Amino acid sequence: MWRLASNWAAEALAVFAKDWRCEFRTRYALNTLALFAFTTLVVVSASLGPLGTSAARGASVLPVLLWLILLFAGAAGLPRSFVHEEETHTATALRLAATPSALFCGKLAYGLSLVWALELLVAPLFLAMVSLAVRSPGLFVLVLAAGGFGLAAGSTLIAAIIAQAQGRSTLFAVLAFPVLLPLLILVVELTRNAVAGAPAGMALHQLLLYDGTVTIFGLMLFPVVWNP
Amino acid sequence: MSPTDLRFSGVSRRFGHLAVLAGVSGEVSAGQALLVTGANGSGKSTLLRCLAGLLAPDSGEIECREEGRSLDAAERRRRVGMVAPDIAFYEELTVAENLAFFARLRRARPERPAELLERVGLPGDRMAGALSSGMRQRLRWVWALLHRPRLLLLDEPFQNLDRPGETVTRELLEEHLAAGEGLAVIANPSSLEVSRVAARLELGG
Amino acid sequence: MKTLLPWLLWVWMAVVIWAAFFYSPLAAGFIGQSSRVLFFHVPLAWTAFVGFLAAAVWSARYLFFGRRLRDDRAAAVAVEVGFVFCVLATVTGALWARIMWGAYWNWDPRQTSIILVLIFYGAYLSLRGAVEDGEKRARLAAVYALLGVVVTPFFFFIVPRITYSLHPDSVINSRGEVDMESRMLQVLLAAFAGNAALFFWIHNLQCRLRALAEGKARP
Repeated sequence: MWRLASNWAAEALAVFAKDWRCEFRTRYALNTLALFAFTTLVVVSASLGPLGTSAARGASVLPVLLWLILLFAGAAGLPRSFVHEEETHTATALRLAATPSALFCGKLAYGLSLVWALELLVAPLFLAMVSLAVRSPGLFVLVLAAGGFGLAAGSTLIAAIIAQAQGRSTLFAVLAFPVLLPLLILVVELTRNAVAGAPAGMALHQLLLYDGTVTIFGLMLFPVVWNP
Repeated sequence: MSPTDLRFSGVSRRFGHLAVLAGVSGEVSAGQALLVTGANGSGKSTLLRCLAGLLAPDSGEIECREEGRSLDAAERRRRVGMVAPDIAFYEELTVAENLAFFARLRRARPERPAELLERVGLPGDRMAGALSSGMRQRLRWVWALLHRPRLLLLDEPFQNLDRPGETVTRELLEEHLAAGEGLAVIANPSSLEVSRVAARLELGG
Repeated sequence: MKTLLPWLLWVWMAVVIWAAFFYSPLAAGFIGQSSRVLFFHVPLAWTAFVGFLAAAVWSARYLFFGRRLRDDRAAAVAVEVGFVFCVLATVTGALWARIMWGAYWNWDPRQTSIILVLIFYGAYLSLRGAVEDGEKRARLAAVYALLGVVVTPFFFFIVPRITYSLHPDSVINSRGEVDMESRMLQVLLAAFAGNAALFFWIHNLQCRLRALAEGKARP
């Protein structure tokens, strides 16, 4: 039993390591994410003007902008994890060799690390460029972590779905938007609370519940998506 | 009846309105090879993909038994060793890194990749993207044999290989069949002298 | 008997429409005759949700009970028909909103929910259109339908807290009692029953048509 679990974990880890090794050699996803996020960030900050925005408007609008940047950067960079496998035909070898659930976890871990790395880059820059002060930094970090998790989980599953279809880049956005909308609403509310110093309330529980639900759903149904 | 064998009956598969396979049946036991022949488009690759568990047939039964136990499609996928033209590897990784990755997934012994690479004459430190088509084919053989599979599914297994390459892979096939437990299904457009061929299956028409 | 059912439905719906205008009283707090939209908009919206659920049920049946293409066809048709009901619900809702609150769209929670269901429907149909192989299409669409059903409940309990609702009090108020004049309630429920029956009847017809078309296409 223990041996089975550790084999499974070793598989997931192998997938994670392989994806990162390939990523370091090409730096495709990192470049895409960083470039996209940075460009959008500059556009947002520039259009808000040199003096930023009034504190009141800022507290309600800026969190939305932050999460939109993260969402669209994610949509640009995350689907590649599965789409690339199908496009280069390495997916066949993977289908024959990997345990589906371990594969999903490995890919999820990879996507998660990308999202968290992206947030580490974007969030501080964003706060600085728009001069937004956050009163509850602890809650802010928590929301970024949990929200990022939800983003990665949802995106990984949908990437697996669209990788086997045509019209992949637009289809990803079409399929992901309704699935990620509840997440978006929750993280924006929580970020607003973090900025204002208000307590998290029910929204945090719901965010964690969303993360758990999407992850478990993905784990259970990924084998169906992946194999005939 | 040997403890390892493969039987399939009535396997059908269509793509859209095109019936690529229509009620194909066959069987092969340990130590034997089944040769599948037919013109282009007669469904040889499709049959092999169904046997591998990569495609679900529209109808028909596929039964693969190892050590007397029947395998379901998921187990079949993991246990099978397959050589096929559409199997590709990660171009950004070296040959050795590719094999190490798959060896970890397939729970093969860590020394196995190096053994096979030496046997087949492939350099481990070459980037998979920089391989010639003949070397790629040798890599496919190595990949297929990493985990010592019982069932080998070979789709155009000798394509692009030069004489030495063909010799060594034929030897590998012979060894696999001679070991007693191994069986193979081979799809090849041209007729090929393979010993221990128990039967030929002609598709199409 | 079978041929009689559609006629029965026709009569039923005709009576419901008549009742909406002449039998039911007006609801308090609405401008003029506009509360009568209730009997059209609400059943359409409920039926759209029912369609969504039905698609999920058929998708689950496809995936876990034999992978029969018949179940996949039923799911796809449920989404297609449900899509129409959803569009109608959204449009009637927007018209009503215009009359009552001056604007067609307010992002009030119920409007947001119906739009989300509409977007899910559209996404499902886009996915189906993007996969050629029948078996793969069925499988991927079924998973997505189930994902939709798993995700939408989040909407129902997070959105109401974000904004207050402009929507009139629901049929069942906070105390759990039915808070509507009895004649109105009768017509509303009758309208819902009629809409649901209409949905399943059209669904049944479409499924049979598709099955015939597919059978015919095969040489």
